[in-house]
Amino acid sequence: MTSLPVSTSSAMPASAAPLRAAYSRAKVGMASLIFMESAFFGTFLVTYLYYIGKSPDGPQPLDCLELGPVTVNSVCLFASSATVVFAVKALARGAVAAFRTWLLITILLGLEFIVGTGLEWNTLINEKGLTIASNAFGTNYYSLVGFHAFHVIIGLLILIGILVLSLTGCIDPRRDHARIDVATWYWHFVDAVWIFVFALVYFIGRVPQDFVGHIPVGGGL
Amino acid sequence: MTTMSPHSTDETMKPLSFWESATRWTMSVDHKKLGLMYIAAGLVFFLIGGVEAALMRLQLARANAGIIDPETFNQLFTMHGTTMVFLVGMPVLLGFGNYLLPLMVGARDMAFPRLNAFGFWLFIFGGMLLYFSYVGSEGLYGAPGAPDVGWFAYAPLTSRTYSRGNSTDYWILGILISGIGSMTTAINFIATAICMRCPGMTLMRMPMISWMMLVVAALVLVAVPVLTAAQVMLLFDRSFGAHFFDPQTEGSAILWQHLFWFFGHPEVYILVLPAFGFVSEILPVFSRKPIFGYGLMVAATVGIGFIALGVWAHHMFVVGMGPTLDSFFAASTFLISVPTGIKIFNWIATMWGGRLRFHTPMLFVTGFIAMFVLGGLTGIMLATVPVDWQLSDSYFVVGHFHYVLFGGTVFGIFAAIFYWFPKATGKMLDDHLGKWSFWLLFIGFTLTFMPMHISGVLGMPRRIYTYEADRGFEIWNLISTIGVPIQMAGVALFLWNVVKSLRNGKPAGDDPWDGWTLEWATSSPPPEWNFDRIPTCTSARPLWDKKHPEDPDAHYE
Amino acid sequence: MNAPQTHGKNAETPHVDELPYLRAIPRPTQWPLVTAFGCSLMFAGIVTHWAVSVVGAAAALIGIIGWFREVFPHEVTEEIPVIDCDVPLPAPTFIPRAPHVAHTRRIVPEAIHPYRSGIWGGLMGAAAMAVVAAAWGIIDAGSVWLPINLLAGILMPSVGEASLEALKSFNGGWFTAAVMLHLVLSLLVGTIFVVALPMMPKRPLIAGGLIGPIIWTGVAWASLHVVNPALEQHISWPWFLASQIAFGFVCGGTIARFNMVRLQLGQTLAQRLDVEQADGGAR
Repeated sequence: MTSLPVSTSSAMPASAAPLRAAYSRAKVGMASLIFMESAFFGTFLVTYLYYIGKSPDGPQPLDCLELGPVTVNSVCLFASSATVVFAVKALARGAVAAFRTWLLITILLGLEFIVGTGLEWNTLINEKGLTIASNAFGTNYYSLVGFHAFHVIIGLLILIGILVLSLTGCIDPRRDHARIDVATWYWHFVDAVWIFVFALVYFIGRVPQDFVGHIPVGGGL
Repeated sequence: MTTMSPHSTDETMKPLSFWESATRWTMSVDHKKLGLMYIAAGLVFFLIGGVEAALMRLQLARANAGIIDPETFNQLFTMHGTTMVFLVGMPVLLGFGNYLLPLMVGARDMAFPRLNAFGFWLFIFGGMLLYFSYVGSEGLYGAPGAPDVGWFAYAPLTSRTYSRGNSTDYWILGILISGIGSMTTAINFIATAICMRCPGMTLMRMPMISWMMLVVAALVLVAVPVLTAAQVMLLFDRSFGAHFFDPQTEGSAILWQHLFWFFGHPEVYILVLPAFGFVSEILPVFSRKPIFGYGLMVAATVGIGFIALGVWAHHMFVVGMGPTLDSFFAASTFLISVPTGIKIFNWIATMWGGRLRFHTPMLFVTGFIAMFVLGGLTGIMLATVPVDWQLSDSYFVVGHFHYVLFGGTVFGIFAAIFYWFPKATGKMLDDHLGKWSFWLLFIGFTLTFMPMHISGVLGMPRRIYTYEADRGFEIWNLISTIGVPIQMAGVALFLWNVVKSLRNGKPAGDDPWDGWTLEWATSSPPPEWNFDRIPTCTSARPLWDKKHPEDPDAHYE
Repeated sequence: MNAPQTHGKNAETPHVDELPYLRAIPRPTQWPLVTAFGCSLMFAGIVTHWAVSVVGAAAALIGIIGWFREVFPHEVTEEIPVIDCDVPLPAPTFIPRAPHVAHTRRIVPEAIHPYRSGIWGGLMGAAAMAVVAAAWGIIDAGSVWLPINLLAGILMPSVGEASLEALKSFNGGWFTAAVMLHLVLSLLVGTIFVVALPMMPKRPLIAGGLIGPIIWTGVAWASLHVVNPALEQHISWPWFLASQIAFGFVCGGTIARFNMVRLQLGQTLAQRLDVEQADGGAR
């Protein structure tokens, strides 16, 4: 572990640095949390992938899932990732009014996603007869999408909490913008997960049954 | 070197009332108090799990014994395995990490002290919920009973059809809750190791144990969520009639095995890597030499962390995965013995030519190395697919993993307790009694688990509640059972040692072992803020540098 | 390892937020306990009664709010009753080493044989072993090809099925395999010798030339019928031991003829390269 001598002209040798923490605790902690949640969602995604095309009976993905409503929901969710960035940027430059507006828009977009998902589930349950108990497709669909929606709700609660704090004047842009930035990472993570869920459920998984039967998914499983 | 500014606070003088001290401990967010509570709670569960094991050994001592009925036996091995892995191994090791990590990297507390307390209490309540099943659940035949599906809860035994009542739900929820606690603690470890190091402590100057804890935390974050997800799926199966794991309704029982072991094998390394850390800290101090090959040790640790994620299906060779997957997982399992072997050789090289001092911690550490090597060798045998086909689910496997987890992890934990007890309490544990404990444990351990290899090769399956007389199992089972009271004597002696030393042990002083890491640079026990002044660090052995300014390690980095 | 830090020069006073708990520690609080209790009750409700979950949710909510107030807007802390906490952190003290001070610590081993001596030793030992083995083949078994073919049996399963006649006659494939294997193993053992011999406590030549071969022969004798039954059928153990000892002595002797080189641990790269230093500021 020998290294060449670094410049010795400075008063303090290089090994004296760093006097300040190299990384913020909040950022590292949030990154670890997101890492952990990724493993959690990864399990559900892999399970979904494994069960594609393994439900001979009951409602089929091609018959049940419609691309129309979910595309609207997805656009709203992806857009909310952008608006929350605008909110944080507004807060960083001290524009509290703009911050609240963008945050409100973000929350409304997130609510749209939740309500849209609820309506979609309503259709699936009452019109298509797909429930968590009907077949492996239903089991996986409701678990995966449901857990994602659950995380969106948690993210929404965080955002609503921030908005309430801001409206009651508890947020000082200078002091708090870094913390709020870290809090919004969670929202971005929820959005990123949706990319995978959306692609898997509505594109990869929405293929004819007998065709899928020949895809050697998870060979030895 | 060890001059400490005396903090003669008045409150340490006057004794606290029971209520006061109880509040002080339960409300604490201090990493040292939480660490000690983790270890204490873990030891309580260790005694419970030990009693469960002793009951099983009593039943198996002779053929056709009727001391314990089959239903109770099923509950005993389920609770023994679950307790030892989730309520003893994890919390004790996380407790040591909690206690040591901030001290060793020169910080005043963990990165998130309150989250730390949250994780600890989740573990406690999870364990309590699991054990509440003994009185509160609706087990088989409607009477209360503990979970009885084995610690890895294979489907479809866990389905509604085969597991009536809700004892399996207790297993799911208890482990799920304590698992969430482990994950929050892991987040805390990572943030602490990355963000809270004292000035001058670069990553490559961290004590080995900090590296191990960092890798363990990363493994927890990858592996435990998978178990949590699988348990949630199982809960859905049982509660809402979902079809994840029930093969009769489109589900896949083998998927549970894959998910469980994707958690389960990294879990083995979660349990053993901290013990590696204890060895890597204790061995140099008692050999009076720096650790051999620090950089390689770090690389091997990280390597183990990565490879550990790709070996899970070696628990599943008998499933019939096909030659391709079998060979892949056999190969990856052989591969993981390379970094592990590097560690063993580095430890031996650390001892080589050193001035060895055989105090109790060192005894346990050498015992650890020997027993872990034996467990590792039988592990290599089991990684060989044809051998595994023959020996899987036999007592050979039981012997193997007890060599790794008891001879390995538990010996490491005892070494750590004897080594850091003076730091945590200010009192030395009695070395003489400690040596008695070690030899009793060592002899009892060998008597109990060595014969299991033989009975396993002879064909004795694990989890049977009794066996017939003419199979040739009796003598080996009898020897196994004879070892149990010897081990219990060793543990009892250890507990007596703790009580005795807490009352009137020899005062330890700040640095009884002439150590080299930062925890010995503060008083024993450390003040709540750990260090009066945040220490600084010039090499991987900061305290050596301070004690030997004429020949610091910094010159050799 | 220690990449030069860019901000080593300006010793700015650390900002409180960036150096957490420099002057304070968090105040004890019950809220994490309450939150954990609430969360556990929420789960416990699944196996008991829904009302338990409701109570748990309420407790968790109260706990979270209390917890939040503990860290927002400012973390509630207790001051540390130590006076010199406010002093800016001292820089790690580092005394540069005087250039030519004698070692105060012992470095084991101090000197080793050069690695190339191991390669030479391996080659010489390989030759010696081949001579002994060939002698066995000619004197005892009547064919020089028998030992070679048996050695190839470690690599090639076909040897195990061959008749004694075939084993005693030349086979190109087996010959190539045997020679390659012999060379690779000899070079490997030679390099192990060069690393291990200086570590032997006493009389390395006896350890490497006599004790090692005897132990190895014992291991082979005990395990060969599992590893390579064909070899075991035909092998003559006295000759086997003799060939091992020949290898050990010749290999060890060759290595010992090379001059040892001193290890340069604990010296900077500059010192190892004999570069004169300006002001001894190397780490």
